[in-house]
Amino acid sequence: MKHLVTRPWLAALLLPLVLAGCATPVPTCDAPASRNLDTAMSSVKDSLTNGCHAYYDRLFKDLLVTAEGDPKAENKRLFSEFLLWSTDEGLLSKRQAEEYYNRYFNVKFISLRSDYNNCSHTCPNKRKVLLDMERELSDKEQGLLKVSLDNDGYYRADRLYHEVELVLEATCTACSASR
Amino acid sequence: MNLRAQPQPRGTIRPRHGGRRGTLLATAILFTACVGFADAYANAPTIRLFPTTVVEDLRQTGNVARDMESGLQEVIGQLDQQRELYEQSKCDGAENDPGCQRLARQIGASYLEMLTIMEERLPDMEHTVNNTHLSLEKSLRNELGRKMTSWTLQETLVGQQAAAAGTVTSPTLRGRSGMRLSERFKQYYQLVATSGSRGDQSLAVLASDIYLDMDETSLLIQRTRQEIARATLMEQLNQSFGIITPEMMEVVGGVKSILFGDEESRALVAGPPPGSVEQAYRSPLEQ
Repeated sequence: MKHLVTRPWLAALLLPLVLAGCATPVPTCDAPASRNLDTAMSSVKDSLTNGCHAYYDRLFKDLLVTAEGDPKAENKRLFSEFLLWSTDEGLLSKRQAEEYYNRYFNVKFISLRSDYNNCSHTCPNKRKVLLDMERELSDKEQGLLKVSLDNDGYYRADRLYHEVELVLEATCTACSASR
Repeated sequence: MNLRAQPQPRGTIRPRHGGRRGTLLATAILFTACVGFADAYANAPTIRLFPTTVVEDLRQTGNVARDMESGLQEVIGQLDQQRELYEQSKCDGAENDPGCQRLARQIGASYLEMLTIMEERLPDMEHTVNNTHLSLEKSLRNELGRKMTSWTLQETLVGQQAAAAGTVTSPTLRGRSGMRLSERFKQYYQLVATSGSRGDQSLAVLASDIYLDMDETSLLIQRTRQEIARATLMEQLNQSFGIITPEMMEVVGGVKSILFGDEESRALVAGPPPGSVEQAYRSPLEQ
């Protein structure tokens, strides 16, 4: 320290080096470069734990696109494990992880989550509910059909959408008839 | 209740010649198992969409429709023959010919007869259709509308087995215009009467399907009844001139397609291609 005070040129030389050592590298948060799903997942995990957690949704969708390049039933498990890892790391709540998984890889529609009865809640919002289901069906097409090759699952989801549409039409007509 | 595991109580001495006691024990176990199974079945949430009144209403509607069909079949056959004769006689464009006028009057008389039969039978039809409609409306409102959330409704539709295997028996969906009216109600009746063997998921779809169909049928009957009065008056006027109007033929065509079905409107929808069966994985996140 005494040397630095007596020799200011030395301080000027060392200061930028000290500052550079303290600064953390800025994460790029780019889409994974690898086309291999395992490698892409590792890369995304690195990004997420290094400050890219705000981009979770985009990175998850990037992984789905990567998985489309090598579709197989096994991918369902890989994504489930990735989501469980995300909850362990505190990046997602359990509920959020469930929503991601079920939205893409399950036959059931997460858009139908509700705590109130159909007459009082679903029927007044029927159009929105069906629109949300339609969007979710498109995500299921990606998750079930294009990523996991689960054709049966996707077609069941598609049929379920039509069944819900029919049953809601009848139920909501019956509900409104009592008013 | 676990029916597979029946642990032997400690200290039980099994009879060396397990004849009667063994039989009694087996009977007791079987009885307990049956009671347990019946309890489990009774405790399972079931939806009561088809009370006996609905089943009876459907049967009644089918009978009324059949009576109306058989009454109309003869007169519609007669109308077809008369129309053919009219065309073969090249009466189109020769309306002033006395022979053609006589034929036109005969067609008009048959048409009036058809309208009269419909006028007589439609109130019964309307009554039974409305009864079915109202009973189903109440069931749907209570069972699916008030007792269920959208999530429980979905779970009912998906059923228990769908999560494991993507295939379930496809429930009957709408669009039966290419079917006789009585046949349609007969099918409804049979589907509902044997509904005990079906899962709740099929019942919800079936009830919705029938209810919406009844809704449309009821409206159609109302409109038809209104139209019959007008068409009868018009035809009574036309009788004096011996005119066949295009409207007459349209009405006859319409009645035929409603009552006896229209083969052309029957659409065959191909099922989805068989999918991959390699899908045993079930995530802990799955709901």
